Amino acid sequence: MDQLSVNNNLNLPENGDETKIVDVTFQYIVIRLGDEQYGIDISYVNNIVRMQRITRVPKVAAYLKGVINLRGEVLPVVSLRLKMGLAEDVFDKATRIIILKTENEGQIGILVDEVKEVVTLSEKSIEKVSHDSKNEKANFLSGVGKNNGELISILDLNMITLEDN
Amino acid sequence: MDVSQYLEIFLDETNEHLQNLNTQILELEQDPENADTVNEIFRAAHSLKGMAGTMGYKRMQNLTHDMENVFSEVRNGNIKVQPEMVDVLFQCLDALQEYTDNIKNTADEGTNDNEPLIRQLNDILNNKGMGGSSDAPKTETKAEEAPTAGGSASGDAPWYDINYDESQISVLQEAVKQGKKVYGINVVVNSACVLKAARAFLVVKAVEEKGELIVSNPNSQDLEDEKFENDFTLIVLSEEPLENLIAACESVSEIDSAKGEELDVNRLHTAEEESSENAPAETAAEQAPAASAAPAKNVPAAAPAGGAAPAKAADKKGKVAVKQTVRVDIEKLDSLMNLVSELITAKNSLVAASSASEGNNSSFNEQIEYLESVTSNLHESVMKVRMVPIESTVSKFPRMIRDLQKQLGKKLEFYMSGEETELDRTVVDQIGDPIMHLLRNSADHGIESAEIRAQRGKPEAGSIFLDAYQDGNNVIIEVRDDGNGIDIEAVRAKGIEKGVVTPEQAAALSDKEVINLLFNAGFSTAKKVTDVSGRGVGLDVVKSMIESLSGEVDVKSELGVGSTWTIRLPLTLAIIQALMVVVGGEKYAISLGSIQTIETIDKSDIKLVQNEEVINLRGTVIPLIRLNEVIETESHPIDENSLIVVIIKKGDKMAGLVIDELIGQQEIVIKPLGKYVKHVKFITGATILGDGEVALIFDANTLL
Repeated sequence: MDQLSVNNNLNLPENGDETKIVDVTFQYIVIRLGDEQYGIDISYVNNIVRMQRITRVPKVAAYLKGVINLRGEVLPVVSLRLKMGLAEDVFDKATRIIILKTENEGQIGILVDEVKEVVTLSEKSIEKVSHDSKNEKANFLSGVGKNNGELISILDLNMITLEDN
Repeated sequence: MDVSQYLEIFLDETNEHLQNLNTQILELEQDPENADTVNEIFRAAHSLKGMAGTMGYKRMQNLTHDMENVFSEVRNGNIKVQPEMVDVLFQCLDALQEYTDNIKNTADEGTNDNEPLIRQLNDILNNKGMGGSSDAPKTETKAEEAPTAGGSASGDAPWYDINYDESQISVLQEAVKQGKKVYGINVVVNSACVLKAARAFLVVKAVEEKGELIVSNPNSQDLEDEKFENDFTLIVLSEEPLENLIAACESVSEIDSAKGEELDVNRLHTAEEESSENAPAETAAEQAPAASAAPAKNVPAAAPAGGAAPAKAADKKGKVAVKQTVRVDIEKLDSLMNLVSELITAKNSLVAASSASEGNNSSFNEQIEYLESVTSNLHESVMKVRMVPIESTVSKFPRMIRDLQKQLGKKLEFYMSGEETELDRTVVDQIGDPIMHLLRNSADHGIESAEIRAQRGKPEAGSIFLDAYQDGNNVIIEVRDDGNGIDIEAVRAKGIEKGVVTPEQAAALSDKEVINLLFNAGFSTAKKVTDVSGRGVGLDVVKSMIESLSGEVDVKSELGVGSTWTIRLPLTLAIIQALMVVVGGEKYAISLGSIQTIETIDKSDIKLVQNEEVINLRGTVIPLIRLNEVIETESHPIDENSLIVVIIKKGDKMAGLVIDELIGQQEIVIKPLGKYVKHVKFITGATILGDGEVALIFDANTLL
């Protein structure tokens, strides 16, 4: 996790005058949910593990799939699909659990269909999205980034720790 | 000197000393003639003074100094212990506690000089019947010292008492021939000094700048290890005059005095020559100049220095019985405990793997069994390390009851037993407040006024008992009184008045349920609010504090006879014995502590009472709880015609949990589910099984 936490590099233009452009870049892990791709800020990611047996916890919200054992620690696992109102997860070889570290809730695992790659996006190439009550999906996003012509929706990770209405 | 790094130790030790003083002064009040108690008090006060001085807390030091003077007089038999004096002493302890609390919160002792207290202490000193000033006893102390000092002929010149070896003497003789001077210097360190070794080192360093240190008594190793009383002797070769050396020694702080003289090398002797003299007298002789040297130089310092020597000697004696201990940060213990839990989990998975493997490798199994016994011993030892006697918490209560007695104007007798009962350190730290509240409650509400007690034919003094003992995997702490007991009807009426229950509900409540109303927030039946109790924030806080420690509190009471409050706490918090069960294909753990029996019940034995399923088990009607319904899953029983029922019990309540399958008993490590998984009332945590799978733990208490 240490090497992952070094990420928000300030790339100063080499010969340029310092006041000109200061370009901030962020690294994102690109994941797949169904047919869509999403980016997760790598600074929140502690670990990525393969799918393992999840112990169901009774009487909790459906998106809280249960708890897993990560090296002796018991962590909750959240279904990103259910949280975002998509169809139930189908587990296959590509399924991964991304372990996020949160400020107040400790570590939380999220289920994703596949982990594709890590991309570096400059701040300029990310467009903020306005939260729109009509478009439910947009409420889970903090922005949309462009990478080599492809669009990557950046997940707003706060939504995972927010309770459902 | 930067002392901040010692602050924690200082606070720890100060609290210990204060606690000790409280206990001992109480004892002194009961038995004013007990010399051991007086000595113990003196020693504690003295250490306290020394520590406060070193840390630079002058006000605290002054107050303890005056207290120490009083104790010194008591010890010398010049003052008799009287109730008024004990009161003043207790007030002093409170003042000291206040300083300590201030220091704890702000690292500063505050600005309260406590002059009235100091005046009172001085009054005690001055009015001791002899009419003399407070100086008089000091000279007496010295006089007492004198015979010891006089015991040795060369008492004033300790340099002639040292056993030199021949090479040292020859070096000295050679030096004298070369015209150098040989000095003997005796340095007396302030008795309140805490880092004597450091002072000695500085003195030696100062001396070595001006000359050559040939011999020191005790030797340099002992000086470094602080193996000396308040003084040490140096034999120095130098070309400078003696005054310069003395001045160098005295420039070191916390040195009371340094004196010396030029030596006559021919009077020095080796060990063999000395053997004719009385060897055991040596230590006494060495100590004596310490005491007598001080007054010669510095009269005001005489009393503390003179008084300190015997105290130190007593200290030495006391140390033999004291066990050696190490203070360990509780966090380190926690991480050790976590590692042990990991080890147990790993061991469990080995056990699972070995039983799964087909081939019967007997030596492998033997090794696993060995590993099992080692891990459980290790676990037990680590648990024991975390266990401390509840004494540290309960020992303040006799003093509290004494104060309550005065405040409430009631006569109270307090009996304590089982102070040695051990509990997890974190529990011991937190159990004090609930117990204190229950004791205050008993004193204030429980014990009747003297008139009523007389009418009821009870002894005038009310008795309050605090008993602690271990009961299986639990520790029981009981607070009992022979007072009024709980007036059920008064509580019922109060419950209605406070709006906790409606009159209809109240009428239907059993006595037991009415008593439980007491644990409701904002419920106080005290007729008048006193500052002892009755603020109405009591029993509900007691209950929630104890529950946060995974314990429970219960009360039994008989009107006019008394009440018993029982606190039941688990011995360990992190690792428990549990029964593993299967419900709807999922594994769950149930703490063995709450399980009474496991029964197989025929389906036809289930009866319906008010539409609830119950069974009649050997004459007791027990409601059934179908666990699969609780956890919202399908039941897959092995046998369609019978049920496996785990009977659980909490207090008087019982229930039968219907499960699908039994796996067996297992030692499990409780892991928190994390903050994210909340609102699951009946799950207390999770545990990791041998195969790495996570199983949830049922909280039997909330199911009842």
